[in-house]
Amino acid sequence: MNNHVIEFEGITVRKGNNLLLDNISLCVSRTEFVGIIGPNGAGKTTLLNVIAGFEQFSGTLNLFGHHESWKRDRKTRLRIGYVPQLFQIDPAFPILASEAVMTGSIGRLGLFRSPGREEMKRTMELMEMMRMAHLAGRPLGQLSGGERQKVSLARAILQQPDILLMDEPTANLDIAVQKEVSDLISEIHKQENLTLLLVTHDFNMLPASMNRAVLFNHGKIVYDGDADTAMSSETLSGLFQYPLETFDRNGKRFVSYD
Amino acid sequence: MTENLVEVLRYPLIQRAILACVLCGASCSVLSVFVVLMKMPLIGVSMSHAAFAGAVLGMLLGINPVLSGFIMCLLSAGVLGPLSDRTDMAPENILGIMFSFLMGLAFLGMGILTRTKAGALNLMWGSLLSLSGLDIAILAFVTSLLALFVLLFFKEIRLVLFNRRLATASGLPQRTLYYTVLFLTGAVVSSNLTTVGGLLIFALLVQPGATALQLTYDLKHFFLISAASGIGACVSGLILSYIFDLPSGAAVVLMATAIFAVAYIFSPKRNATKLKKGSMAHEDDAR
Repeated sequence: MNNHVIEFEGITVRKGNNLLLDNISLCVSRTEFVGIIGPNGAGKTTLLNVIAGFEQFSGTLNLFGHHESWKRDRKTRLRIGYVPQLFQIDPAFPILASEAVMTGSIGRLGLFRSPGREEMKRTMELMEMMRMAHLAGRPLGQLSGGERQKVSLARAILQQPDILLMDEPTANLDIAVQKEVSDLISEIHKQENLTLLLVTHDFNMLPASMNRAVLFNHGKIVYDGDADTAMSSETLSGLFQYPLETFDRNGKRFVSYD
Repeated sequence: MTENLVEVLRYPLIQRAILACVLCGASCSVLSVFVVLMKMPLIGVSMSHAAFAGAVLGMLLGINPVLSGFIMCLLSAGVLGPLSDRTDMAPENILGIMFSFLMGLAFLGMGILTRTKAGALNLMWGSLLSLSGLDIAILAFVTSLLALFVLLFFKEIRLVLFNRRLATASGLPQRTLYYTVLFLTGAVVSSNLTTVGGLLIFALLVQPGATALQLTYDLKHFFLISAASGIGACVSGLILSYIFDLPSGAAVVLMATAIFAVAYIFSPKRNATKLKKGSMAHEDDAR
């Protein structure tokens, strides 16, 4: 029996005349950390949406060894955590940061059971892990973008998923906060033993523990392999149709451009 | 004046009107939490017009107007839900088209109606003093249904109100919950046609929730404040309408607006935000 938790075979997503994913085949093993990288409109988010069960598709999708359509049962959904791009929330919306994190436990609790001490304890542990326990009682809408993203991460982990999908988790954050969130993602990968898929187009903020890169363009995979090899000037310049250069610093590869 | 008011309270008609006010205020204001937090005030408008159009058509066809209004609301919910979920059109546009279509349908019915239009106009403005026992029973049933829904599914409702996509990702049947809200909107609106009417009910579907939004960050308190302000607006509106001989529906809506205005002016949330902005500006100046 193979160790794949995600298996795509000939997955195609079409919206009207647009081909968002074009006959994608891809396997992801348990505890792998995969970066899905590509320019805007490449199909990265669509790929996450297919795995999360938000998007209809044709082709064969196996999750945890079972054939799945876009409609999922509750048990399968619970095994997939989802961190969306930074979303706007009305500053007056009635939800506190700790309550927002605790919503991660709702699916697992099922109907007619309310979060109890156990869920509250785990919520506070996760908020401490995100270094924001002091903000537990603050309304979510009053938190900064970075703090809201950390709430999203904690919320997704509280769901106790096997796969964690992250859609541009560091987009629209300032550099220091991007680094903090990126380091937290690496920490989560180590501590929680999860399979991680992270969509981004920002190579300089790739978490250190990401060990595989899948490069996307025009709905197709153009590279799938080692993350360091993917970060070459030729590959990235070809992918983004723009001259990019890479350089190493403190054992990490960075990208620069004019 | 007070003695006169106490005397009037002995009449079954007035007792029924007060009970209807409490039920109307409770049902509309609990629903307004959904309308305000899911940012769907146009759904309230569309539903109220659907109920009104259905009621007018019911009068034309000789069917109970509350029943035909309810059926029209359900049909609208059945169209609105999937349309706003599945098409590429902006939900506001779908609702705008739906709203104007239903408005047109209602006025067409009014035009065709050959007998007196007083009954139809009553459904537009409501008439708290001419309610039957059946009207009250239907209203009580719908209010209980709504309260039960909120009590049983409070934690699921919190997540759906917060973010529908995250609710789906957490394995919740968010679409079922959303459609249930639409169904309950139809039930609340159509059962309140006889109290505040199909046009004025829109105010009660927005203002109590908007009032609570000024006052609390706690969702439980949000529901309670919304209900209290809705019931308060309805009962005080009825009393004022009796004292000053005003149309009851209009008095209720004006009271709801006054309560919202007071909450807005004294909003601790708004004042806290102002203070925060002020202190940030002060810090910037100091730098």
